[in-house]
Amino acid sequence: MLETDLHDLSDDADYAASQQQGSTTMMRTDSGRGSSSSEHEGAEVVYSKENVTIHPTQFASERISGRLRLIKQGSCLFITWIPYKGQNSNAKLSERDRNLYTIRGVPFTEVRSIRRHTPAFGWQYVIIVLSSGLAFPSLYFYNGGVREFLATVKQHVFLVRSEEDANTFLVNDFQNPLQRTLSSLELPRSGSIASAVSSASVDVSPSNSERRAGEDSHDERSRISRYGGKQRHKAQDPARDLPIQILEKFSLVTKFARETTSQLFRENHNNGFSVAEMRIQNQSSLDSPQTSSNDLEKVTDDSPVVQDPIQFDKLTLVWGKPRQPPLGSEEWATFLDAEGRVLDSTSLRKRIFYGGVEHNLRKEVWAFLLGFHAYNSTYAEREYLQSIKRSEYLTIKNQWQSISPEQAKRFTKFKERKGLIEKDVVRTDRSLSFFDGDENPNVKLLHDILLTYSFYNFDLGYCQGMSDFLSPILFVMGDESESFWCFVALMERLGPNFNRDQTGMHCQLFAISKLVELLDTPLHNYFSQHDCLNYFFCFRWVLIQFKREFAYEKVMHLWEVLWTHYPSEHLHLYICVAVLKRYRNKIMGEQMDFDTLLKFINELSGHIDLDAAIRDAEALCVCAGENGAANIPPGTPPSLPLDDGSYYIQQDEVL
Amino acid sequence: MATSGNKNINAKLVLLGDVGAGKSSLVLRFVKGQFVEFQESTIGAAFFSQTLAVNDATVKFEIWDTAGQERYHSLAPMYYRGAAAAIIVYDITNQGSFDRAKKWVQELQAQGNPNMVMALAGNKSDLLDSRKVAAEDAQTYAQENGLFFMETSAKSAANQRDCRECNQYRIQPGWFWTDLLKGLQARHVARRTWFLVQF
Repeated sequence: MLETDLHDLSDDADYAASQQQGSTTMMRTDSGRGSSSSEHEGAEVVYSKENVTIHPTQFASERISGRLRLIKQGSCLFITWIPYKGQNSNAKLSERDRNLYTIRGVPFTEVRSIRRHTPAFGWQYVIIVLSSGLAFPSLYFYNGGVREFLATVKQHVFLVRSEEDANTFLVNDFQNPLQRTLSSLELPRSGSIASAVSSASVDVSPSNSERRAGEDSHDERSRISRYGGKQRHKAQDPARDLPIQILEKFSLVTKFARETTSQLFRENHNNGFSVAEMRIQNQSSLDSPQTSSNDLEKVTDDSPVVQDPIQFDKLTLVWGKPRQPPLGSEEWATFLDAEGRVLDSTSLRKRIFYGGVEHNLRKEVWAFLLGFHAYNSTYAEREYLQSIKRSEYLTIKNQWQSISPEQAKRFTKFKERKGLIEKDVVRTDRSLSFFDGDENPNVKLLHDILLTYSFYNFDLGYCQGMSDFLSPILFVMGDESESFWCFVALMERLGPNFNRDQTGMHCQLFAISKLVELLDTPLHNYFSQHDCLNYFFCFRWVLIQFKREFAYEKVMHLWEVLWTHYPSEHLHLYICVAVLKRYRNKIMGEQMDFDTLLKFINELSGHIDLDAAIRDAEALCVCAGENGAANIPPGTPPSLPLDDGSYYIQQDEVL
Repeated sequence: MATSGNKNINAKLVLLGDVGAGKSSLVLRFVKGQFVEFQESTIGAAFFSQTLAVNDATVKFEIWDTAGQERYHSLAPMYYRGAAAAIIVYDITNQGSFDRAKKWVQELQAQGNPNMVMALAGNKSDLLDSRKVAAEDAQTYAQENGLFFMETSAKSAANQRDCRECNQYRIQPGWFWTDLLKGLQARHVARRTWFLVQF
């Protein structure tokens, strides 16, 4: 232990005193800051790094920088991250976020894994996942030091590199695959959440926002002291061993969001359901085509007396915007200039969001929505790009076409991959006339494009579900090369759905759980009590973006709506929430457990009212606002990956 | 339909096996008595239930059907934990799928519930001309590892019991399912293990 470290402690973390006090209550009453060095006994700052920053939103102005530290006390290593004061111009937001995100002494016994991200451009960052399944926001090391950070952790904690991902380091390594699955996929269990939230509420004191930087030491110290106390109880009461700090944050997020949404939804205190929820129930009992155009008026009729006309405007504004007819040729022409540029892509996307696209226009419009063509490109530029890309496609295709049978014998990976694709293409949408019959040329195109893609993106390869994505694209685009490049563009965003370590899916299912918690607390509590918080019953919805849930035409409509990324890149997650809310009474009323729920959700296929789901999702998205967005981890598909190409590296991949 | 007996038993089953071995087809034959030539791939997992009436008891099979691709392997433990029985399916026309089945057996032996009943199903037995896995080899392997073994065909519904016995069981499951059920019952009686919940 170095003298400088000891000295360094005095300005913020005299948690050592807690060891002697042994009681949280006593600790909290001890407000003296001039702690003597004897109180630091056994505590040591083993790592400290300035300018470690979180990015709560995509806006650079809302980033929060702070100091990251590793503190060793006895045999325990703690991590703290204290944001700097007064760096943000938006003082109110900053203060709230500051309290929300501060890490006040979390012991590594509560950490499951650390994932390191080293993008080719931009800052290195780490994501710390707790054993509860919750994760801290990504910590960006503006001054570098990730390697040193991990090396320091490794000196004090049992740290092993994950077999599945070279950039993930497991703090509590599980040999048992069952436990590995559970730990990598499951969210906290019901008991944990309930007890943690109740104990967390004790800590949310109004004075939090008044604290000055120097006083953060108090938090950091008391957090550690509380842990020290808890550790002694651990054997008797495992439920107490919880990352209270992180749960405090979520409880704050939820509280904040509820305040916001309740302004719009107007809590009905008689039954605990908000107007919005009652509205959903109304709609679900009328799951018929008539409930489309006159919804606005219905809201007016059904709503309770609203005192504040401004609030009422918001309510009618956000809820149930009627769907419009699809975009047709004439209207489409108005979006283009003489040379074929889309002048106002935002308006175009908004227009498509509310009505979709007529089928005969899809071939042209999808190439923009998917990002194959740039909105500001001209007809001539697009034609040129297509010809360039066509020859590029043929070059890649030739890579596997030129593999002779003799070569294939010695190329197991290729044979296996090809076999897998062959098995899947013959069972993808074969009931459609486009794909039916023996020797159907479109089935062959599916095969060729998928196999070419698995060479284009060899690291990701082929994965079940990809043929579901390609099928409507091929159906719409017709042309082999254009279908391929549109599929490539889609996979740029959704490829992480197929990551072997399931990170892409994990992010999205996690975000759904946070959104349900935000937008339907009773349902969240229900799932929590019934051990359903992993949201695996939504797996198919998310993995292939509802492809199996709707008729083909509806899928195409939904996808073009989602691809507008209006009003959110993650609208599909709000659609999940919207559908769950629609059936919430049935789910809770029938006391569905996980198995029953999965069966129920699978059997909803073909029975979901798409227009209503999109309307509900839009409203939920608008109501959740920034808080909704803050619950979706950065880089969650279909956001473009934060990383460079290394995102796709699949360690120990068999196929 | 199950009759109301004085015993109700729940049995959780999980189907595991290589891509395209016929897991979903096998379970759909059992649950719905139908076969689809181009059964779509399973995404995530599917859950089915089917109730059988046997003597004075009704047995409700709760069946988890899983995705076959290796990429989704990490999800499997979530489905096989707590299962009373696992049916490991391979395709008799595909040696690779038999190798994969052996890997599943190993994993379940190492990680699963020790009281789990395991069954090995060599599916697509109607495709005799394309056979790559000899029935004897699979039978030997099954015996060595204490598995039920049977070749099945979800397509032709081969291995259906004759009609008298079908009537006895009230519906028409393949041998496979009834034998599996008998195995479960035998274990239950012999060991009073936890996995068959009686109420």
